[in-house]
Amino acid sequence: MSTVIEVKSLSKTFGTKRALDNVEFKIEKGSTVALVGPNGAGKTTLFSIVCGYLKPSSGTIDILGHQPGDASLFDKISALPQDAQLDPKFSVLQQLTFFAKLQGMSGKAALEDTKRVLTLVDLAHVANSKTSELSHGMRKRVCIAQALLGSPEIVLLDEATAGLDPKNAKAIRSLIASLQGDITFILSSHDLSELERLCDTVLYLEQGQLSSHQSDLHKTEQGSFVTLQMLNLDADMQDKISNLAGVRHIKQTQSDELVIEYTKQPQPFDLSLLALIHEHKWTYKQLVNGRTLENQLFVD
Amino acid sequence: MNLQRTWLFGQFELTRLFATKRGWLAIAAFSLVWLMVLRYPIYNAVPFINSYEFSDIVGQIAGTIGLSALVSWPEAELAMFWIIGLFTFPMFAVFVTADQTVGDRNRGTLRFLTMRSTRLEILLGRFIGQVMILAALIALVTVATLIMLLYRDASLLTSAFAKSIAIWSKLLLTCLPFIALMSLLNLINNSARMSIVFAILFFTLIASVIGYVGAQYPILSWLNYIIPGHQIAELTGWQNTPLFSYALPACQTAILLGAAHVLLKGRDL
Repeated sequence: MSTVIEVKSLSKTFGTKRALDNVEFKIEKGSTVALVGPNGAGKTTLFSIVCGYLKPSSGTIDILGHQPGDASLFDKISALPQDAQLDPKFSVLQQLTFFAKLQGMSGKAALEDTKRVLTLVDLAHVANSKTSELSHGMRKRVCIAQALLGSPEIVLLDEATAGLDPKNAKAIRSLIASLQGDITFILSSHDLSELERLCDTVLYLEQGQLSSHQSDLHKTEQGSFVTLQMLNLDADMQDKISNLAGVRHIKQTQSDELVIEYTKQPQPFDLSLLALIHEHKWTYKQLVNGRTLENQLFVD
Repeated sequence: MNLQRTWLFGQFELTRLFATKRGWLAIAAFSLVWLMVLRYPIYNAVPFINSYEFSDIVGQIAGTIGLSALVSWPEAELAMFWIIGLFTFPMFAVFVTADQTVGDRNRGTLRFLTMRSTRLEILLGRFIGQVMILAALIALVTVATLIMLLYRDASLLTSAFAKSIAIWSKLLLTCLPFIALMSLLNLINNSARMSIVFAILFFTLIASVIGYVGAQYPILSWLNYIIPGHQIAELTGWQNTPLFSYALPACQTAILLGAAHVLLKGRDL
């Protein structure tokens, strides 16, 4: 894999506030990266610097061999900036076609590509509507559509599903999943389960610092953890589970959730666990191989 | 800088005027105002200017304010339009071009654009677009004036056509630094309205201070040249206009756009 984004010693200050503090990371081609952190952690600042909207106070960013904002990146990187709106005086079709032309397409190709991306976000029927006539969710999807114009190599989506109804949020997740591999995605969201499903790498920002840079989110040591969500979880259940062969440690992370650490056994641990549940006629809600992103970031 | 992208921005500004309902309403309002100006002040003044009885008085009055060449024009409608246009179009340009980038910056639309074009292309493209809009509007009134003139005396077609082109060019050239000033003020202020307020302050307060300082300390009189429209008085009479009067607005435009580019380049979006 080749590196598409390399950030070195990146800092950004606004007055006396240090929004980013010596951030360093690399993003590999084709990966889907989650940018996670509490409000005010510096996620949008980092997004804005990578997109070239903000200048860093110090440090360097290399995107496909170029600086942010370089003309060579115009058809290679695209973004959904948080809270950015299209011009309400023009139709969706007019604006997206204009964007496509700026990316170097002919008038006909721009029109076709605009229709393609609007179909991707299920909004082909509002092409001739002005953005002021659309709902918040529709406007968000149009903004996602503009990020997919042409053939971008890197797409940055800041809070892409925030404000969308569950059906459309799911559709956007499916769309991102379908484009993974061809495009390197960088996603910011507060929905950790969403990021967990989509992303293979996590950048966790806290108070402007990259406190963890986890690559290979799903590549945990085979069989070392399972996360179990149970109906009516009680102490008796925990005792019985802890007596299973190979269990090293059990931690209750929520009222109905256990994270079980175990060592490898001849009999697969998940089968033993399911057999125990079946034997006692317990009801489980969910069994996850490994630890959830939420537990990795906030519980451990 | 990519010229094609710059041109696309200019073209898109034209669609703002000619492909939106709001744009057509603005054109309609503009046309009606000028229809009134043509129908009443200009139409009624022409017989007076051209009359044999009043020619001496008109000539004397015009001579004292440096307009004797203009009153001798057989195309009196164009002479009147020139005087009115020269003093109204620059201010009109300030209002029409008040929102070049500031609205898009506040809305975040510039963020979509800067992923596809350089900031210089956006700045120049928008400026070119505003120039084209103003060129179209000045042309509209020039043609209307020409039609009114030919209705009175069709034999003046050739000379009137040449004068119309000259008037259109000079009016547009005069407006350029005013448009460029709004490009710059859009980057200093957070709204189109505040940009207009700053422009008014510039042409009243700051221009007065510069005029006073220039009068008191002649060594600083060059400061007057930073005020757009400083050369208008020399252009008005349409006689012996120094080349400098044409070069000044072009230089002012280049300097104002250069300053705007420096500001936009370093600005957080």
